[in-house]
Amino acid sequence: MAFLLRRLVFYLAAFVAAATINFFLPRLMPGDPIQIMFSGAGSNLTMENLNALKLTFGFVDAPMGQQYLTYMQSVFTGDLGRSVKYFPLPVTELLARALIWTIGLVGSATIVSFTLGTLVGVMAAWRRGTVFDAVVSLLAIFSSSVPAVVISLTMLFVFGYSLGWFPNGYAADPMLDPAFSWGYISSVLHHGALPMFTMVIVLTGGFAVTMRNNMINLLGEDYIVMGRAKGLSENRVMLWYAARNALLPTVSSLAISIGTILGGSLVTEVVFNYPGLGNTLYQAILARDYPVIQGQLLIMTAAMLVSNFVVDLSYVLLDPRLKKA
Amino acid sequence: MALAMATAPASAQAVLTVSSEQTTTWVRNFNPFNQTSARATTKDFIYEPLAIFNRLAGNKWEYRLAESFELADDLKSISFTLRDGLKWSDGEPITVDDVVFTYDFLKKFPALDFNSVSALMESVEKVDDRTVRFNLITPNSLIATTIVAMPIVPEHVWKDIADPVAFANETPVGSGPLTEITRFTPQVYEQCRNPNYWDADSLKVDCIRLPQLADNPQVLAALADGTLDWATSFVPDIDNTFVAKDPEHNKYWFLPSSLVAFTLNFEAPDENNKKAFTDVNFRRAVSMLIDRQSIIDIAGYGYPVINEDPSMLGEFYKAFGNPEVATQFGQYGKFDLEAGTALLDSSGYVDADGDGFRDNPDGTPIAIDIEIPNGWTDWIDAVQIAMETLKEAGLNVKMSTPEESVWASDLIDAKYSMSLNAIGSAANPYFPYIRSFNPADFGKSRTSAQRWTDPEVVEMLNKYTQVKDPAEQKSIMDAIQLKVAEAMPVIPVYNSPSFYQYSTKRFTGWANADNPITSPVVSNANPGRLIQLLALEPVAQ
Repeated sequence: MAFLLRRLVFYLAAFVAAATINFFLPRLMPGDPIQIMFSGAGSNLTMENLNALKLTFGFVDAPMGQQYLTYMQSVFTGDLGRSVKYFPLPVTELLARALIWTIGLVGSATIVSFTLGTLVGVMAAWRRGTVFDAVVSLLAIFSSSVPAVVISLTMLFVFGYSLGWFPNGYAADPMLDPAFSWGYISSVLHHGALPMFTMVIVLTGGFAVTMRNNMINLLGEDYIVMGRAKGLSENRVMLWYAARNALLPTVSSLAISIGTILGGSLVTEVVFNYPGLGNTLYQAILARDYPVIQGQLLIMTAAMLVSNFVVDLSYVLLDPRLKKA
Repeated sequence: MALAMATAPASAQAVLTVSSEQTTTWVRNFNPFNQTSARATTKDFIYEPLAIFNRLAGNKWEYRLAESFELADDLKSISFTLRDGLKWSDGEPITVDDVVFTYDFLKKFPALDFNSVSALMESVEKVDDRTVRFNLITPNSLIATTIVAMPIVPEHVWKDIADPVAFANETPVGSGPLTEITRFTPQVYEQCRNPNYWDADSLKVDCIRLPQLADNPQVLAALADGTLDWATSFVPDIDNTFVAKDPEHNKYWFLPSSLVAFTLNFEAPDENNKKAFTDVNFRRAVSMLIDRQSIIDIAGYGYPVINEDPSMLGEFYKAFGNPEVATQFGQYGKFDLEAGTALLDSSGYVDADGDGFRDNPDGTPIAIDIEIPNGWTDWIDAVQIAMETLKEAGLNVKMSTPEESVWASDLIDAKYSMSLNAIGSAANPYFPYIRSFNPADFGKSRTSAQRWTDPEVVEMLNKYTQVKDPAEQKSIMDAIQLKVAEAMPVIPVYNSPSFYQYSTKRFTGWANADNPITSPVVSNANPGRLIQLLALEPVAQ
C-alpha cells in the first residue's frame, strides 16, 4: 500500500510539473498569438477593439503568476477554456469529439497489431534461424523503421487513389447521419480501414521484435529445457512455458508506449483526414490555438501517467516483494 | 474524395458543392461578427451587404439591401436608403431600426467590431422608414466601403443575446439568399434558400453543400474527381492535375490579388545595413537585380501576375494608375542585371575590404539576411532565385527561415533586415498605402514592416478621403503614386493570384476572363461571390 501511495504522490507531482510546462512553453515561444491572428487586420482595429478581442479569447494582461494560478485552477476543474480556431466551442467538447475517433482507431489498431506482433514474434523466436525467422525479422525491422508518413502516403496512393478500394478521407460517409445502423457502421469500418491498416503496419513490427527478443532470452532457461525433457508437446512448451513469461515485459512496454502510439496516430490521421486527436492537434498548432494545444497535451500527459500507474499496479500484483514494501 | 454525394440520387434541388475554407471539423457557428471561426458562408450568403463594390465591372457599386447611398457634400455623413419590402428569413421586415440597432450593438460590444467602424461614427440615426444616416467624426470619402463590410443583424433576434461574442448563432435569421441550415454534421453542412429573399428571382441555386476538407491536397482530390463545383485553393500544376481530368468542364481563372514585395527595413537593427537600406539608389539597384519573371515561372508555377510598378499598384489597381510613374521611374521596377550593378558601382557600393562583397560607400560592410517563414516553399524558392542575381552583383545575402510566428513578430517589431511581405488588396489603393506608410501603424501590423513614411504622402492620403470631386481625388492619387515611386520604399515582385476553380458540369454562369462580371473567389474575404452565386444557373441534366 505504501508503495502505491508513494507512486500516487509521484504521479500527482509529475502531472503538476507537466501542466506547468504546458503553461509556460507556449508563452516562452516568440510571437503573440493575438498579434499574429489579427496582424492582417492590424491597422483596421483600434486598441480598444483589440483589447476586447483579447479578453474574449482569454488572453489576460495579468501578471504571469496570477495567470498561472487561474490556469492551474482551470486544469483541476476540467474547464480548459474555449478554442480560438473553433470558437466558441469549449476545448473539452472539441477534444471529446475527436477522442472517440482516436480511441476507436488507435484502440483497434493496437489490439490487432499487439496480437499479431506477439504471435509472429513467438513463432519467429521458436523457429530461430529458419527462413520464417529471417523473413519476419526483416519485415519487422523494415516496418518499424520506415516513417509512418511514408507508409500512410503509400497506402493512400495505392489503395485510395489508384485502386479506389477505400475512401481517401473522413471517418464515415458525410452524408450519413450517425446512427446505430448497418449502413453507418459499415461506412465507419470502410473509412477506418486504411488508417487502421497503416497503423497496424507501423506498430506490428515493434511488437514482434520485442516479443522475439524476450522469447529468445527465455528459451535458454532451465524450465524450458525441463519442459521439453519431460516430453511435453512443442506447442505447450512454446505457448505456456515460454510465451506466457515473455509476455509480461511486453505488456508493460505496451502501457509505456501508449504515448508513442498516440503520437504515431497523428501522421496517419492528418494524411487520411481522420477527425481524431492527432489531426485536431496538428490544426491547432497551425492556427496557434493555444487553449486546444494545452488541453491536448494535458490529455496526453494524463494518458501516459494513467497507463504507467496501471503498470505499477500490475507490478504489485505480479511481484510479491512489492506488496511488503 | 470519392464521396457518396457525388453519386447521390438526383433530386429536384439545384445543389452547389463548394469549398470556401479548410478545416478538420465543422463547428456550427454562424455569428457574422466573428472573423476567425464563423463558417465562411456566413457573410454575404446569410447576411447580405448593403452594397458591394465591384472592382471588375468598372469599379461600380452594386446595390443589395440598400437601393442607393448618398455622401453629403461636406463628407461628414452618408445616408443609405433600404429597398422596399425587405424581409428577414423568418418573415419579419428588415428596417432602418435593425441598422441602427446593429451599430449601437457594435459600440456596446467592441469585440464584435472587427474593422473598428464605430470609431469613425459620431452617431447613426434613422431619418425615415427607409433611410439611415451615418454621421462621421471626420470627413471621409471612402466611408461606404468600411460601412458595407459590416453585416446588419435583426434586432428582434439579437437584442436578447447576453453574450453576443460567444454566441454561435446556430440557427441564423438572415437577409441573404441562403439562410436555412438544413444539415449540419462535423463533416458536411448544407445551407439552403431563404424563403423570404427579396431577390429570389435571380437565385437559381437552391442549396450550397460544404464538405469538410482539411487542406489543399484534399481539395485537389475533390476537384479532380468532380465532387466540387466551386473552390478556392492552391493547386500545383493545375492544367495537369485538375483541368486534364475533365477538360470540358474543369476550369479556373486566376485574378491578381495581394502584392508580394521585398522590404528592406528602414529601421534595421544593424546600423550598416540601415545606411544602405535608407539610400534610394541602393533600393533601386536591388529592385533592378530581381528577376521577377523567373520567380513567377519557377516559384509560382506561372500563376502570379508580375508587378514592375515602383508605386506598388500594378495590374490590380490598373484603373488608378498614373502613367507618369512608368515614364519617370519605370526602369527601377524592371529586372536589369547590368543596370542594377552599374547603379551600385556609381553610388559607391564597392568592395572596400576585399572580402568579395560590396560595402557601404564609407567602407562599412553590408550583410543582408533575408528572413522567410519556414515551410512557405514558394516564397523560399522566390528568395533563392532573387539571391542568385543579388550575389552575382556582389551583394552579401543569405536566407534564414524561422517559424512563421517568429517571422511575423520580427516584421511587426522591425527586427529583421530584408524579407518578402504580402500586402492585402482592397477596393482602393488608398488602403494599402495608408496601412503601409501610416506611422501610427508602426509596430502594430506587418504591412508597415518597411517602416517608411513621408509626411507629405501621409498628408495627401488624409486629404484624399476628405475630397468628394473625383477629378481632385484622381490628381491627389496621381501625386501620391509619383512620391511613392520616387522613394520606392518597397520592391514589388508580383501580385498573388486569387485562386478560383470551377466546374461547368452542373452549373453555368461562371465569371472568367471572357465574362468578368465580378471577382468570383468564394472565400469570405470577397463579397463579390454573392454576385457570382446569383449569376449561376443549373445545367439541365
